[in-house]
Amino acid sequence: MKRKWERDLGLQGRMLFTMFLLAVVYLFFLAFLSYYGAPPIFMLLFIGLFMGIQYFYSDKMVLWTTGAHVVSESEAPQLHGMITRLCAIADLPKPQVAIVRTQVPNAFATGRSPNKAVVAVTTGILDKLSPAELEAVLAHELSHVKNRDMAVLTIASFISTVAFYFVRYSLYFGNMGGDRRRDGGGILLVWLVSIAVWVVSYLLIRALSRYREFAADRGSAIITGQPSDLASALMKISGLMDRVPSEDLRKVEGMNAFFIIPAISGSSIMDIFSTHPSVEKRIAKLEKMQQEMS
Amino acid sequence: MGFQDFMDAILGRSRLPKAKSDKLFAISTASITLQANLGLKPSGSAGICFKPIGASAYESARKEIQELLEYSSKETETEFRLEKDEYNFLWAIFKDPDFEDLVANIHLVSQTLEEHGFGEQILCAIYRFESEPEAGTTAGTTAGAAGREGKNSGRKSVYWIYNFKQGTYYPFIPLSDRQRDSPFEFRLRTEMEREMPIEKNVEKWYPLWGIPF
Repeated sequence: MKRKWERDLGLQGRMLFTMFLLAVVYLFFLAFLSYYGAPPIFMLLFIGLFMGIQYFYSDKMVLWTTGAHVVSESEAPQLHGMITRLCAIADLPKPQVAIVRTQVPNAFATGRSPNKAVVAVTTGILDKLSPAELEAVLAHELSHVKNRDMAVLTIASFISTVAFYFVRYSLYFGNMGGDRRRDGGGILLVWLVSIAVWVVSYLLIRALSRYREFAADRGSAIITGQPSDLASALMKISGLMDRVPSEDLRKVEGMNAFFIIPAISGSSIMDIFSTHPSVEKRIAKLEKMQQEMS
Repeated sequence: MGFQDFMDAILGRSRLPKAKSDKLFAISTASITLQANLGLKPSGSAGICFKPIGASAYESARKEIQELLEYSSKETETEFRLEKDEYNFLWAIFKDPDFEDLVANIHLVSQTLEEHGFGEQILCAIYRFESEPEAGTTAGTTAGAAGREGKNSGRKSVYWIYNFKQGTYYPFIPLSDRQRDSPFEFRLRTEMEREMPIEKNVEKWYPLWGIPF
């Protein structure tokens, strides 16, 4: 039996295209830097080291900054059992399991490879979600682990970080560079290009991050076989469930189509800055998968 | 990490590995060695566990498995039952003193699931063995264990779990309080490595607490 809902070629295409654009921007930036004789090697090494530390210690750093503590099998048997089974289905080594004591419903995964992964949940999400919904959220996090999203996004944002440091410190580096032939105009140009590279790559990384979220939603649906579980979990977490009667409000918004200049809601502009796609869009995609399944 | 895995990671593609049931029968010959060399007797119980997917397709698969088993179990005189566990996974559990019949029934269920496109959702197949009271332990510790656990009289359940993702077996010996008897498990691996395909990656020796048989 072929299950066509398991694939989203459009999403894969957009993801590849975003990565391609990012590579173009980065290559341009590196070419520009070496042409202008700025010290790119030194910078690359310095930031490479910095990001290397982040890459290798991110799991511990995240646990430390969020206050998550790793729990053993006997401390959280139900949670461990659920994750063990999902890992067996997805053929992943079992990650460490951590809990954050906060009422804010949330979950996250970190670690550079499936062997070093940590999956953490807050006590709030444990209280709020039904077992099936919790399972869907855990499957979403395990998909991030399986897709190596931490590594992909760290690598993708590497040169963007270089550009960012250029923007902040290029004046010092300009003085330090010792290349007196092009001071003044040269440094200003490097500064402007760095800003442009940083802004463009920032937006591209955000887009990539959103695509990875969609991909993890899809992964969750494939592992659990129930896209609707994740959809209802997302509704609960985002508080959308509490706003269910707002439906007729949206009908009003639908009237926008009849206006010549639609009243653009703020969210559509903010969309390109956020790391996560809007919950409505994610739920819509999950519902589509659910329909295609039957 | 192979090229395929690399591309899957880059594109964020999720794919569940196809079920590999070809090595399932390795337990048949291995069970003879287990009994002869290690004193592990087949307990006459086995089960296969899978995750139900999508409501309607699942119901029809369940019905078909039910009918299929009613038919086939008459022939082999195997007792069977279907039950859902606390994690909403479905188990088909078999009882038959003839080990070959157990293996055949497990295989039948896995085939049926694969035909329905549920192969990726099979969690595992499990065979339970029992260690004879004197096996591996001295008289003194056996008496101690018997005193503690009473009804088990020192008998230990040893599970062999078949991982359909890898097509490999691994041992699982639960003790009380979610501890497992790792020394015994590793001993079983060294003893049985040549007889059956054993999962090399110990991280994939997933524990399953509360196996319902």
